[in-house]
Amino acid sequence: MDFYFGLAQVIGVHTLLGLSAWCVLHTGQISLAQGGFFAIGAYASGMLTTMADWPLGVALPAAALISAAVAVAVGFPALRVKGLMLVVATTAFAEIVRLVFFNLKWRVNTPAGLVGPDGGLGFGGIRYFPSNGWSSVEILALVWGLVALVMLVLAWLDRSRIGTLWRAVGEDEVAAQSVGINLTAAKVSAFGIGGAIAGLSGSLFAHYATHIEHNNFTILLATFAIAYPILGGLSSLWGTVLAVIFIQGFLIEGLRFLGDWRSLLFGALILLVMLLRPNGIISSPMGQWFGRWFGRSGGPAAPTPKGKAHA
Amino acid sequence: MLELRQLSRNFGGVKALDQLDLSVRKGEILGLIGPNGSGKSTTVNLIAGLYKPSSGTLAFNGVDLAQRATHERAVLGIARTFQNIRLFANLSVWQNVWAARVVRDAGWTGLCKRWLSSGRAARDEVQELLVFSGLAGKADVLAGNLAFGEQRRLELARAAASGAELLLLDEPAAGMNAEEIDELDERIRALRNQGRTILLIEHHMELVMAVCDRVAVLNFGRKIAEGTPAQVQNDAAVRVAYLGSEDTATA
Repeated sequence: MDFYFGLAQVIGVHTLLGLSAWCVLHTGQISLAQGGFFAIGAYASGMLTTMADWPLGVALPAAALISAAVAVAVGFPALRVKGLMLVVATTAFAEIVRLVFFNLKWRVNTPAGLVGPDGGLGFGGIRYFPSNGWSSVEILALVWGLVALVMLVLAWLDRSRIGTLWRAVGEDEVAAQSVGINLTAAKVSAFGIGGAIAGLSGSLFAHYATHIEHNNFTILLATFAIAYPILGGLSSLWGTVLAVIFIQGFLIEGLRFLGDWRSLLFGALILLVMLLRPNGIISSPMGQWFGRWFGRSGGPAAPTPKGKAHA
Repeated sequence: MLELRQLSRNFGGVKALDQLDLSVRKGEILGLIGPNGSGKSTTVNLIAGLYKPSSGTLAFNGVDLAQRATHERAVLGIARTFQNIRLFANLSVWQNVWAARVVRDAGWTGLCKRWLSSGRAARDEVQELLVFSGLAGKADVLAGNLAFGEQRRLELARAAASGAELLLLDEPAAGMNAEEIDELDERIRALRNQGRTILLIEHHMELVMAVCDRVAVLNFGRKIAEGTPAQVQNDAAVRVAYLGSEDTATA
């Protein structure tokens, strides 16, 4: 049973990670920095709950805010370039973050002993959950409660003004500028909100893993992050969730007996989707079908004139 | 309202636009015509801010446009359509117009306005423009799925939605049939009657001569004539350079 709890936690955390990339992908940008924001969230909240002894309820939003702030700071220069150059720039950023944490040694004495990031040995003893007596079920409820909250916020955002402007920028930057949309503002806001979600996701990861280290946050993580919304499509948030369940539940866990060959399958899968279904596996009409069953979470024609788009 | 002074733009060694002086007066429909490659679209792109001028100045209502980004010019009141339609293809018809409308309410004051009722005003305005464009029944259709003529109409509605005082229409009649051109004629006049100013770049002479108050003619990046449609039609240089033969001058 523990195995399934663990898997459900992983899927929840990766769903958040995928949703963070979903925001950025909306503006037409491919970012491999999401793993970096995830790492920043993980380290920040871990340090807050262990070294500063903050409660998790405060450390989680604080870590999300820190990640968002870094994302905005990085976004202004990074989003001046686009396409392949943005991929390179964001990859470089993610590697910088990883190497900073690889070299970060800052341990302090607390009643629980010596805690803090210890360079290449990682950052252990993030024992907020065990020492406060959280059961697996409670942790799982927290993770999926936050997933639900983030999905609600994004579904609302997608139908609101901001979501429409993000999509407009993703559709055609020249036309978007010509109707008065500030490209930088649109892209940086998407980057910032994506950064906050990735930070939240990283915080949860740090606390259920209890031990984190730099090689949790390699380029593979960033590839996963961007793969989820690409596979799931942008028309619906559910696409991302299903993509995570498929990749983490089936491809990574279900096919564990294949060992490292799974990575090959993962690559092949992305290639196939890009060739055969460039709008994602779950695009319309399948997205519309899901939309009908799950309260129309942003089908392609979301707002209508009559009262829907609450701007 | 719009003043172009000695405006030039070079692409490598090619002078796409050569020292153009042009004034667009408030409330008029100014036609800008000329053979292919004469610099018409370059002029539009310079005014809209997609290109930077090689030399010369542009001023809109007394504001120097040199340091203004494209989106800032849109906020100042300059909107455009594109020669090869550029819609937000995967957004609905309604969202296309709405996106252009809501950016006007940017910033904190806009945020307050939206919460205090103008959200409804914006929606009403979008609806009005869709009716105006004959697209009210297709509000939920994806823009990319519209027929060609409908896409042109939607682009015009989107440009109008951004609250533009000055509309730059880059060959809005291209690919349209006679009936659609008649409708376009009416729409252009209606937009002007709302108090907007229009710069019409067009190859379809019948439309230009019917709808424009004044016409300027470009050839090889230079302005060779300017005046009322009748004056331009009878201008010898224009006949030679652009209309080709005397027979087509009245076409």
